[in-house]
Parts: sequence; structure tokens; C-alpha cells
Amino acid sequence: MKKEIESQLTTTDSQSAVNANRRNFFKTAVAGAFGAAAALNIMPAGLQNMAYAAGSDAPELTEVKIGFIPLTDCAPIVVAAEMGFDKKYGIKIIPSKEASWAAIRDKTVNGELHAAHVLYGLVYGVQMGIGGQQKDMNVLMTLNHNGQGITLSNQLKDKGVKDGKTLKRLLENENRDYIFAQTFPTGTHAMWLNYWLAANGIDPIKDVKTIVVPPPQMVANMRIGNMDGYCVGEPWNARAIYDKVGYTVATSQDIWAEHPEKVLGTTAEFVAKNPNTARAMVMAILEASKYIEATENRAKVAELISQKSYVNAPKEVILGRFLGDYDNGNGKKWKDPNFMKFFEDGKVSFPYLSDGMWFLTQHKRWGMLKSDPDYLAIAKKVNRIDIYTEAAKALGVAVPTDPMRSSKLMDGVVWDGKNPAAYAASFKIKA
Amino acid sequence: MLQQNPILKKHFYQYIQLLGLNKLGWHSPCYTLIMLKVMIVDNEIKRCKPLKQSLIDNGFDVVAHVENDVHLHDKYLAIKPDVVIIDTESPSRDTLENICVMSMHNLHPIVMFTHDGNKEQIKLATQAGVSAYVVGTIPSERLTPVIDAAVARFEEFKNLRSELSQAKIKLDERKVVERAKGLLMKQRSLDEVEAYEMLRSMAMKKNMKLADLSHQLIEAASMLIV
Repeated sequence: MKKEIESQLTTTDSQSAVNANRRNFFKTAVAGAFGAAAALNIMPAGLQNMAYAAGSDAPELTEVKIGFIPLTDCAPIVVAAEMGFDKKYGIKIIPSKEASWAAIRDKTVNGELHAAHVLYGLVYGVQMGIGGQQKDMNVLMTLNHNGQGITLSNQLKDKGVKDGKTLKRLLENENRDYIFAQTFPTGTHAMWLNYWLAANGIDPIKDVKTIVVPPPQMVANMRIGNMDGYCVGEPWNARAIYDKVGYTVATSQDIWAEHPEKVLGTTAEFVAKNPNTARAMVMAILEASKYIEATENRAKVAELISQKSYVNAPKEVILGRFLGDYDNGNGKKWKDPNFMKFFEDGKVSFPYLSDGMWFLTQHKRWGMLKSDPDYLAIAKKVNRIDIYTEAAKALGVAVPTDPMRSSKLMDGVVWDGKNPAAYAASFKIKA
Repeated sequence: MLQQNPILKKHFYQYIQLLGLNKLGWHSPCYTLIMLKVMIVDNEIKRCKPLKQSLIDNGFDVVAHVENDVHLHDKYLAIKPDVVIIDTESPSRDTLENICVMSMHNLHPIVMFTHDGNKEQIKLATQAGVSAYVVGTIPSERLTPVIDAAVARFEEFKNLRSELSQAKIKLDERKVVERAKGLLMKQRSLDEVEAYEMLRSMAMKKNMKLADLSHQLIEAASMLIV
């Protein structure tokens, strides 16, 4: 096995005077991997990966800065960096905690961040130039499904609101301003909240007032009575129950089981310049996702991300729903089969074109896009199935053959990526 | 003339106020041309107070200084500023993004997120952590003074803060050395000078900073001596 590597080294040497830095990097990396691989008794896999990273496909950058927002679903980035999955593929991931999605967008666009844990819809919003300058963007992989939710304040619980129907009744009977918060206008939570309200006959534009509040501040703002409800990622719904200020009226998987959520996003410019780095990032994060998916590892991951430098929330607040143990804070407890998923043999990670297109249909539905874009062409440009497939194949992860998937949402309407313009126009409540 | 003379500009607005013309909805082209309404969203009083003053001195109408809070959306709608200045790292930026998409006022982010603008200015603003949102198309010669003033104040504040943290680090270092010294005095029955000499020679031998060595010593002691 060692000989194989050595012979590869000499081939690389003789092929050309490849830049010395890369060779040195390779030598150290191999030496390091040998130690680690021997210690962990995973020699063959380790060698295979090193050989991949060291061929002509070596990453252009050895350090990548990846932005994230304090949420449970930032786990793949943190785990890839903290548990050394990045080093296996010749890169070092530096997670960078950001204060707002706007900062994630700006820093990704101007290159200060190489990539980011980002809301699916935000990437498409930038691609379409909604609310700011247009920039060509890429989705490299999906980071997770499920695990977001809608929280209502305890005042609404006291008024007997227990689902969408009872909320609508309250809105009709007690006339006042109802304030709902989400996290970014083009993002996922805005779309889940709007979809849920509309499916319950509530017009999210006319019947309620929506504001944007950063995820970690949701609970504090609800406590002082600034809002009636909010839609956000975990652990901030669980936290409201823990702090006794609110309860979960719907989970995002109630709205769409196995919905796409955060992605690994970057600019098309970055991928064009650094295709190998992009692939190495996907490989490292795919492996981290596989690790997180295993139930036996989740307690350890919850502990890791609960730290102040990451999510900064008590481990017990993160862990429950992270394992699928749900309590809605209103007398109902259940084991949710559609809890936050990170891998599912690659079914979560694959950047389905139909997933990207769905966000465009909702941007159109809510008036952020004035006319129908070329849904399919844009999704093909943004979602880098090519890069993902290379990375997945190198790791032996199955790649779906159909870039479209079919799902039935809470109102019984099926979305399968066909006829996106008709789908966007089909909703009774829209802008 | 009004354009070039900031003092005149300032007084011009005061005359309008004095005469109560602003309340009467006095909107001469001259007036609307001069007075850009600026809103500062900032919690750092040491930063935004001088910024506010310097903008007023330059003839801008600083309509509000609002702290980062959940009512930002309402305040924006009530004030309808032409320019919003906010710290790049402020969590409230997403609230402004929502207004950008939802409002009818054509608010949009500039500076960090732009294709055309002045590259050098963008770099400076980015480094200082200034983000700006503007309504419609404001010519850059009118916007530049606002951004420049913000960049200057943000830079000043950053320097102030880094000086402060340097001073704090120095103070902390001294505290650590004092504690390590005390530890040695107690454990080895040394006097203060001897303890200090011992620390210093050890640090020199190990090629470490005195404070770092002291820190390690305290850490080790906390594990060894219960």
C-alpha cells in the first residue's frame, strides 16, 4: 500500500515540475494520514482519499472559510471542520459565525467567505437579483431536510389556538395587528410561514404583519411580547418551550415532509476558479453529514455544536428534536420520523433541480419575481449536480438518476418540478 | 453655492425651520436636493453620537438614531429615510433586507454589495464595517460624504476599542503574573523578588512570554495542588 503511494508520488514528480508547495503539502498530508489511518485502523479508505486529493485534482485552496448562522443545521460545517473530515480531502475548513443572513450574502458575494451554510431561497434570491444586486450563484449540495418550525406565543395558547384553523378563527374574531417573524425575505422560513398561513386560509401579506428577526433573537423578542408567532430553524422553537414563552403549532415537516432547507452555497465565480476546492468541500461535508446521520453520534454532535462559538444554546435544548423526540409545548409528545435529516444515503444531499425551482415558484407567488423566469434553466445553472456527482461517486455515495423528485405538501398539492409556471399560478392565496 | 458651502447649507435648513416652512410642507427643488435624510442604526453611543454630529455639520438631516431592535421596521416606515447607515455585523440588517424586498420605497443595499460603485470606497467601508441602504438612485457625489463620515467614525471607534482591549490584555497579564508569583512564594517559601526572578529565568529558558508561562503554571497548579 505504501509503495503505491510512493510510486504515485514519483509519477507526479516526473510528470512535470508540479509546484513544490503542493508536493510538500502532499507529503506532509500523506505522512499525517498514515499516522491517523494506522491509529484508526482505516488504512484502505484513508489512502484512497489521499490519492484522490493528491492527483492532478488537488484543491486550489488549502484553507476555506465557510460562514454559518447559529442553528442546529449548521452541524455539517462544524463537524467537517472540528472532526477532521476536511483534512482527508486536502482542505482546512474555517467555520465563521455570522450575525445575519445579509452578512452571509455580502461576504460570500465579495469573496470574504468562500462558501456558506445558507437558506436555499436566499441563494436563488441573489441569483435573481431580488432586493439587491444580481450575482450568479451555485448550490453545491443540500445540507439538511426538515427540523424547522412555527412557534406561537403562550398568549395565543391561552386563547385556544392549537392549529391553523383555530388561529384563523382568532384572527377573524379578534381584530388587531398580528405580527409574525421570519428570518429573511427570500429565505426558507418566509416560505414555510407563508405557505402554512395560506394553506390555512390566512393571507400572509394582507391578514398579518411580517417582520424579520435574526434566529437567536426570536425567543427574547417573543418574551417581551413583540410578536405573536415566528418561523425559524431549531433549536429556537424548542427553546421557546424550554423558556415557557411559546409552543410549536406546526413543524416544517408538517408543511412538507422531507423539504429542502439549508444548502452549501457559493458564487459561480468561486466554483469556476476553484472547482477542485468545491469538490473537496462537498466530499468533506458529505462525510460529516453521514457521520451526523447516525443516531449514536447525535449526542456527541449536539454537545459539539451547543458551544458558545457555534449555536450557543443548552445541549438538552438541541438534542431532543435532533433525535426526533418532539414535544409541542401544548400537551403533545411524539417520535417524529421526519426529524432533521442530513444524509439518508445521499438522498438529502443531492441538489435536486425541483427543490431549487420550488423556491423560484414561491418567489413568483409572493410577488418578488414580477414574471415567470426560466425555472428549469436557472436551476440547472445554479445547482451544480456535476460537482456533487463527482464528489459523491468518489465517496461511493449513491447519486439519484432523476434530478426531479415528487412531494405532496400539507394542502395535498403535488410538486414534481413539472409545469413550474402553472404551479406558481395555481395558488388561491398569492400576491 | 449651497452645494459647496456646508455652513450655509446647515443654516439654510435652520431658516426653513425658523420660518416653519418645513411644517407647511415646503418643498422647493433646492430643499429636497440638499437634505438627505439619514437614519443611523447603532447601539454604540460612542460611535454614533459623533457620526450624527458630523453629518449634521455637513448639512445632512439626521432624522433618527435607532438602536437595533424589533421595532426597526416600524421606525423605518415612519421616518422614511433616504439613507440608512448600519454596522455590517449588526443582526438587524436582515430586518432592512426585508424592507428592501417588501417595501414600496425601493430601498436597496449598497457599498458592500455592488457592481459599479467606487471600488476604493467599497474596500474602505467594508474594512470599517459600514453598511448602507439607500432609497432609489442617489448620485454618488451626494452619497459619498455620508459614507465617508460613517467610515471615519467607525474606524475611530475600532481603534479606540482595540486600544481598550490592548490595555485590558496588559492588565490581565499583570494579574496572571502576580498570581503565579504568589503561588511560587507560597509553595517554595520565596520572597517576592526571588519568585519574580525564578519566573523570569524560566520564561527566558523556555522562550515564552512571562504571562503565558504564568498562565501555564497556574493551570498546572490547579490540577496538581488541590
